[in-house]
Amino acid sequence: MPVRMEPPAILPRQAQSGEKRTGRSSGLVEAVHAGHPFVPEVHETLRDADAVVEVKDFTLWYGSTKALYSIDLRIPRKGVTALIGPSGCGKSTLLRSINRLNDLVDGVRVEGQMLLNQSPVYAPDVDVIELRKRLGMVFQKPNPFPKSIFENVVYPLRIDGENRRSLLEEACERALRSSALWDEVKDRLKSSALRLSGGQQQRLCIARAIVADPEVLLLDEPCSALDPLSTMRIEELIHEISRRYTVIIVTHNMQQAARVSRQTAFMYLGRLVEFGPTADIFQAPRLVETEQYVSGRFG
Amino acid sequence: MGSAIVVCLGLIVFMVVLIVAEGSSTFWPGRIHELRLSDGSVVLGVPLDEEPYVTQGEEDAAQVAVARQAGVPLGARAWSDEGLPIRRRYFVGNRDLGQATFRWIPLWQVQSIESPADAVLIEREEWGAFLGRLEGVVHDRLLPLDPGVDQFSSGDADGGDGAVERTQVQTARGLMLRERTWVARGSAAATTRVAQERAEASTRWSRRDDLNLNVIPGLESKIRRLRWQVQKARIEHERMLQHARDPLPLWLWLLMLVGTGGALIGGVRLGRRLKFSSHRWQRLAVPVCWVCAVLLGLAVYVERPGALPDLSGERLAGIEHQAETRIAQLREQQNTAMDELARLRSQDQLVRVIAIEPTRGRLSPVSRSEPDEPMLLSQVVRVVEANRIGFFGRLGVYFDRWGEYLSQAPRDGSAAGGVFPVIVGTVTLTLLLTISVVPLGVITALYLREYARQGLMTSIIRVAINNLAGVPSIVYGMFGLGFFCYILGGFIDSGPANPMPLANWWWLLVGAGVLLLTALGVGGLLRRQSIMGGGRRRRWPVLVALAGWSGAAVLAGWALATTPYFHGFFEEKLPEQPTFGGRGILWASLTLALLTLPVVIVATEEAVAAVPGSMREGSFGCGASKWQTIRRIVLPSAMPGIMTGAILAMARGAGEVAPLMLVGAVNLAPALPVSTEAPFLHGDRTFMHLGFHIYTLGFQNPDSEATEPLVWTTTLLLLFIVLMLNFSAIVLRARLRAGMRSAAL
Repeated sequence: MPVRMEPPAILPRQAQSGEKRTGRSSGLVEAVHAGHPFVPEVHETLRDADAVVEVKDFTLWYGSTKALYSIDLRIPRKGVTALIGPSGCGKSTLLRSINRLNDLVDGVRVEGQMLLNQSPVYAPDVDVIELRKRLGMVFQKPNPFPKSIFENVVYPLRIDGENRRSLLEEACERALRSSALWDEVKDRLKSSALRLSGGQQQRLCIARAIVADPEVLLLDEPCSALDPLSTMRIEELIHEISRRYTVIIVTHNMQQAARVSRQTAFMYLGRLVEFGPTADIFQAPRLVETEQYVSGRFG
Repeated sequence: MGSAIVVCLGLIVFMVVLIVAEGSSTFWPGRIHELRLSDGSVVLGVPLDEEPYVTQGEEDAAQVAVARQAGVPLGARAWSDEGLPIRRRYFVGNRDLGQATFRWIPLWQVQSIESPADAVLIEREEWGAFLGRLEGVVHDRLLPLDPGVDQFSSGDADGGDGAVERTQVQTARGLMLRERTWVARGSAAATTRVAQERAEASTRWSRRDDLNLNVIPGLESKIRRLRWQVQKARIEHERMLQHARDPLPLWLWLLMLVGTGGALIGGVRLGRRLKFSSHRWQRLAVPVCWVCAVLLGLAVYVERPGALPDLSGERLAGIEHQAETRIAQLREQQNTAMDELARLRSQDQLVRVIAIEPTRGRLSPVSRSEPDEPMLLSQVVRVVEANRIGFFGRLGVYFDRWGEYLSQAPRDGSAAGGVFPVIVGTVTLTLLLTISVVPLGVITALYLREYARQGLMTSIIRVAINNLAGVPSIVYGMFGLGFFCYILGGFIDSGPANPMPLANWWWLLVGAGVLLLTALGVGGLLRRQSIMGGGRRRRWPVLVALAGWSGAAVLAGWALATTPYFHGFFEEKLPEQPTFGGRGILWASLTLALLTLPVVIVATEEAVAAVPGSMREGSFGCGASKWQTIRRIVLPSAMPGIMTGAILAMARGAGEVAPLMLVGAVNLAPALPVSTEAPFLHGDRTFMHLGFHIYTLGFQNPDSEATEPLVWTTTLLLLFIVLMLNFSAIVLRARLRAGMRSAAL
């Protein structure tokens, strides 16, 4: 069954007049209204970074609704990149465009280019299955399969045709250690993954996402369904993992973005607004929309 | 609301209790009463139920009134509270003596009721039970009558054991001397003697059954098979004479072989290289290679060296001669077996049981046409001394009868004996049905849910499937008979009725290939419309592709139905004995599979739809293909639901009777549908089925009143088997569910 998703509604513009402004006005709202292209504010330190994922003039429609407007974004290697923005701004859509999970939605159409380690993501001769194997993904709600813990973790290897027991066990242990779950489950690898707590399940999903050594790890609001304590553990884990993997995280929680990420992209109305080092985005944003959003005045 | 539940549950419980009570009491041996009636007659019978009745006619009424005035020996028991006379139904048996199996006896006519200890109920191979007294066991010898000698004087008629009586009897061979030696006299001695003689004779009887059921029919079927082989050789010889032509030149054949190989290699290599090619005409090269490979491969196969039958008249004569020799040998063996059987039979003729019924003093005869010859010991199935045995004795008889019921074949026109072949038929049918319906239904449901684009077409298909569930089952029976038995079975037996000329046939195949390629080419146009870039969906490629596919399918089906290369697998048996072209368990199970298909499809669709989308997303996110996701995530999660569908299908299929009457269930099948002989499962054989058995037992038997208790028992058994099949499937499902919740899958 094709996964059905409602096309996210683009939020109506909110008037922000009469408030204290630290950054310069971007002209975003005016550009949107006039239908002009909007040039995002990208901080200098990130302009020429060694990019793992390059998004070039990327536009996406859900049917007749435009969800992403010519996004240009270079996500640097290693470390955590956070995508923030109000609901429906297109950050999840952008994330799911990287592993082409949006292909499963009926009526999706894209324009523009995206490169993963210099190889195109959207080209007629791309094998989507092979592409997805190069990426790991963790979803909003923990979604372990109704299988044993062991089978959950090694699932990406199994579908790749790997059946050597010793290799699978080794990979399973490595992934579970990396996701800080090994000590809790090492004695019950054969029991069902559905018996784990929510936080454990999400860490299991992270283990599953990294077991095949992905080039990029995509996290789609991984803590939104968890309690604060589990959230803290996952954040520690993300921090740990980002030493070895490039992580892109979509989050609603600005504290979380501030805590875990090295650089942050702020999106609004399907456009990239500002992209810069996390400290700058949160403490010295250049655009007024970013400032208002991170200080909690809208969104 | 609540009362509706009470009514429903009450009815169901009542049904089950009634069936269990009636069904389980059939085999309980009741006491035998000896009644002395007011007209002086004596009746032996097993009491059943009683009821008040209204007298018919004035004479009867007057008699009843007189009897009531005078008082009757049974007193108040003979009259109901309303003052009506009461009658009681007795099982009196002895059908071969010309009386009804049951008899209503008004209690006011009864002078006395006794339970004589020597009254017995003898279950016989034929004609149901005999109620009477065992007088003795004798050895009867028939000797030629010699008029010159006084053969009758030496007998001592003092009546003790070992006494010899000589009498002159009229037999089919003329007047003969019967020498009767009493080996046991009196009820008790006779009962013991019967048991002894049975034990002695048991090896003889098992050998007799073996000869009758296995050896002689086995030889017969071997002879028949040889005849068929000869027939097949004759047909092929005829065909060779008609179609005598030179084989394809070897170089041309080799060229075709090379071409096949080239097309295959090309298909594989191009397929790998051009998998993601953006050139649609390049991608079309792959199917072109495959179609060529299939066509050439087919040609290479049918024109393979030695494919033309080489059956000269000389070879045919050789085959015929060989078969005749072998048949003669087999006939010889058959005659030996027949002789042995005759010898065993004549040994059986010796020991006879004399049992007398009191009403008219007649004995239990060997057959209806020889009423004065006592029956053979081998005709006695069981002697029940109903008034002598205690509770545990009755229990023993009860379980002995159950054992016979469950392990033996029916006898006496299905009115007695067991239902073992019926059980085997029912279970085999149900398993075959499940095996064929589940994969078909699951694949259909998966396609509908996972692959098909949801829209008008799928909605129409769903509605059609749901409507199929409401079609009367006899309609399926007709379809099964018409399509499976006659068309499909006929094709398997004898090939196409009107084969097409060779050249036309090959052009037909090429046409199908071209249509297929057109469809694929235009389909390639469709596939170009990926999520990249614009491009409006155009209508004409869809229609052309659809037309191409359906045209190719029709042509391929036509080609299959008219192929000149296939003459059926069993043409030699026709028209004398169709193999698959008649009714049989394979077609019956496929008909039932069709009948239960909607159940499985609907259940599977629901189960598949209930698998959360997040699971699929997670699997796709891991880089799984659609099929991997379905196989590893969706199907295991949906398995309990699929099992539910399979259970419902089994339950419906096992209880269905109407279509089976048309496609293969019979009253008395000559052989089981499963055997230890290859191919072990004989799909072409007719079979017995419990539902149909109930119907024939209850409504087709000449003495349906006598078989009624057996109908109840068979109903109970059917209920039990359906419940057991369901129960085992439910247990399986529960284990699957538990496995998914806790342990590793």
